Amino acid sequence: MGIQERLIEDVGLRRGVSRLTPEIIEKIVNAVLKGETGARLKTYAETCMRCGLCSEACHYALSHPGDPSYTPAGKVHQTMSVLLDKKGRVDPEAIYGIAQIAYTECNLCRRCVHFCPVGIDTGYIMSTVRRICHKLGVTPQYIQDTSHSHSATVNQMWVKDDEWTDTLMWQEDEARDELPGLRIPLDKEGADIYYSVIAPEPKFRTQLIYQAAAIMHMAGADWTMTSEPGWDNSDMCMFTGDFEMMGRIKRVHFESAQKLKVKRIVMGECGHAFRSIYDMGNRWDAWKMSPIPVIHSIAYFWELMTEGKIKLAKKYPGPVTVHDPCNVVRGRGLHEKLRELVRFLVDGDIIETASNREHNLCCTAGGGVINCGPPFKNVRVAGSKAKADELKATGVKTIVAPCHNCHGGLEDTVHAYKLGMEIKFLGDIIYECMEKPEV
Amino acid sequence: MNAAYEFVTGPLAWLAWGIFLLGSAFRLASMYQLAKAKDAPSLAFMSWSYSLRSIVNWLIPFNALGWRKSPAMTVATFVFHICLLVAPIFLVAHVMLWDQFFGVSYVTIPDSVTDILTLVVIGACLFFAGRRFLQPDVRYLTTGKDWLALVIVLAPFLTGFLAYHQLLDYDLMVILHVVAGEIMLAAIPFTRLSHMVFAVFTRAYMGSEFGGVRHARDW
Amino acid sequence: MKRTLPLLLLAALSLACVQAAFSQQDMKVLAPAALGKLTRPAAQFNHDPHNEKAKLDDCVICHHGGADGKQDKSVSTEGTPCADCHKVKSVGKNTGLQRAYHKQCIDCHKAKGKGPVACGQCHKR
Repeated sequence: MGIQERLIEDVGLRRGVSRLTPEIIEKIVNAVLKGETGARLKTYAETCMRCGLCSEACHYALSHPGDPSYTPAGKVHQTMSVLLDKKGRVDPEAIYGIAQIAYTECNLCRRCVHFCPVGIDTGYIMSTVRRICHKLGVTPQYIQDTSHSHSATVNQMWVKDDEWTDTLMWQEDEARDELPGLRIPLDKEGADIYYSVIAPEPKFRTQLIYQAAAIMHMAGADWTMTSEPGWDNSDMCMFTGDFEMMGRIKRVHFESAQKLKVKRIVMGECGHAFRSIYDMGNRWDAWKMSPIPVIHSIAYFWELMTEGKIKLAKKYPGPVTVHDPCNVVRGRGLHEKLRELVRFLVDGDIIETASNREHNLCCTAGGGVINCGPPFKNVRVAGSKAKADELKATGVKTIVAPCHNCHGGLEDTVHAYKLGMEIKFLGDIIYECMEKPEV
Repeated sequence: MNAAYEFVTGPLAWLAWGIFLLGSAFRLASMYQLAKAKDAPSLAFMSWSYSLRSIVNWLIPFNALGWRKSPAMTVATFVFHICLLVAPIFLVAHVMLWDQFFGVSYVTIPDSVTDILTLVVIGACLFFAGRRFLQPDVRYLTTGKDWLALVIVLAPFLTGFLAYHQLLDYDLMVILHVVAGEIMLAAIPFTRLSHMVFAVFTRAYMGSEFGGVRHARDW
Repeated sequence: MKRTLPLLLLAALSLACVQAAFSQQDMKVLAPAALGKLTRPAAQFNHDPHNEKAKLDDCVICHHGGADGKQDKSVSTEGTPCADCHKVKSVGKNTGLQRAYHKQCIDCHKAKGKGPVACGQCHKR
């Protein structure tokens, strides 16, 4: 049992490890441990009683019964504990396994928080392991590519500046066929809302931009998007451990909103971007909270609902189940608003999965795991067996999941375990069911 | 015997309490300094009310998800910690010693009850040891440090039980008991037992983050 | 009444002395009735062999007098039950009965470096 028995070939990890020597490793590990960690990591390492309560928490562990190397403490045991115990004196091959665990076998979903009596944040520990791996140059190739894209273009998907505005204009054009008065306002100073998306939206989920524009239009919102870099709120650097770049892109994002003097940022249905804006990126930039109010789509749609600005022509046929994305539920407590919204939109019950609200089981895609790409897809899908079992037990045909990463992961899960379920964004349902004027 | 007894209940006891109290204070103070130097972004979010909310919710058996998912361990953990504190603090013989040495006296519980509490602690230690041997996930995680912590805690209760019932050589047992208790005290700041000192803060931090920032339960 | 009380006390005292004098010869344990039901087995104490072994000829070494928490070694009180002065619950500065016993025995044993000092050495099962 253990990572050494399940190493997966990855170009990025392999090349990174090939450049390492024990001396480099020792130097960098200790530079991070001494320079960037403190009492938090020290107390976590010391007070973990190795009690095994967290074994029941992790979907990876639940999906691999009898294999303790997938438990949260088991993963810390194979990674951070080794680095601490050996004071960084580990060989390059060991780093390969450590990186594989940290990047592909933990979604940083923090479900284990609900299981640890002494309050150890395993997500933080694994993030710190990733930070070390990043500094060692040992990162999976696919996610590193997105991180490079952030550095070069300030968006995750190598979207060029003109392609971005072009895509917006294209979607506006399309939408005007259906809703003639619709605009996607660009760089409108002083707007109430600055709407930001993740780069995969213009890249291959353009209908989401269309839908958001339609909803904003029908709600009569005073909104804008920016034509300049900063429009992408996503952040894979946060997940590779490239915190310098995380801080830089978050700063660009916030400043692009501030430059337009908007009242607040509304972000699309993304989980990890919310984590970056609300929790990690802002803190790296020394903002206790975000420097400009930020709300997630769930909260924004909920506002529209309570203000009566979403008028439904029909309700979406239920029953449905709700998937709680970790970053906006354990990360922001939006689970009740999400349910109120779903009850408003759906004709039928919400059939809860056995683990719901803050206690949700992760989609197994988050934390950058899905972004590590095809080499690790099978591991990811195997790790979502527990989630698949819970989904299957609901017996419903529709999963409402307000997060892109969750969608990606759940699509693979639904397919692999033959669940025959469809997965919906809130925007999908609102757009489909809202009143639209006849043209 | 008398010289040995006087030594372990005299200078050695002062030493053990000194290491325990000063050591804990030192560790707390240096950890706080380290936190101020390196964990300012975490300290900034500390909140009294959310810390308490988290601590209280975790002190209720079967309230947290983790407690509910491992019922046997939950019962063992709660019962163990309660007995671990109550038995030695309110044991008649220990209060006698406070009285004898410092003229301080307070409420005690009957010996027959303490006897049971002691057996519960020993039983819980055996349960924990059993998990470390038999339960694959716990076995996988277990290190020498974990065994050490368990043995350090078990020793004073086992020797205390034997001494109280005057089984085996009493004179030897009572000295072993005192020494074992002193080792436990002195070990608190510097072994896994330091969770006695630190856990309240790690719990409080998690409570503060989840209450104040994440607006979600952490239990 | 004012005259009968001292008389009564005197009578009680002499009775107690006689009792004590008799009982001490074959005294095996310290189990004063005043303490009621004992928590631990009664402390073992063979009065005469102990004093022989410890070479205690002078009664006042243990049977001291005193008041207000101060011992007076010039007043011997043999024959007076300890519990007469040391109440079970200590009054004012006076030492409580249990503490008095513990201090009396253990302090001396410690000073001499001989004799039982730990609980189970006296309170034998």
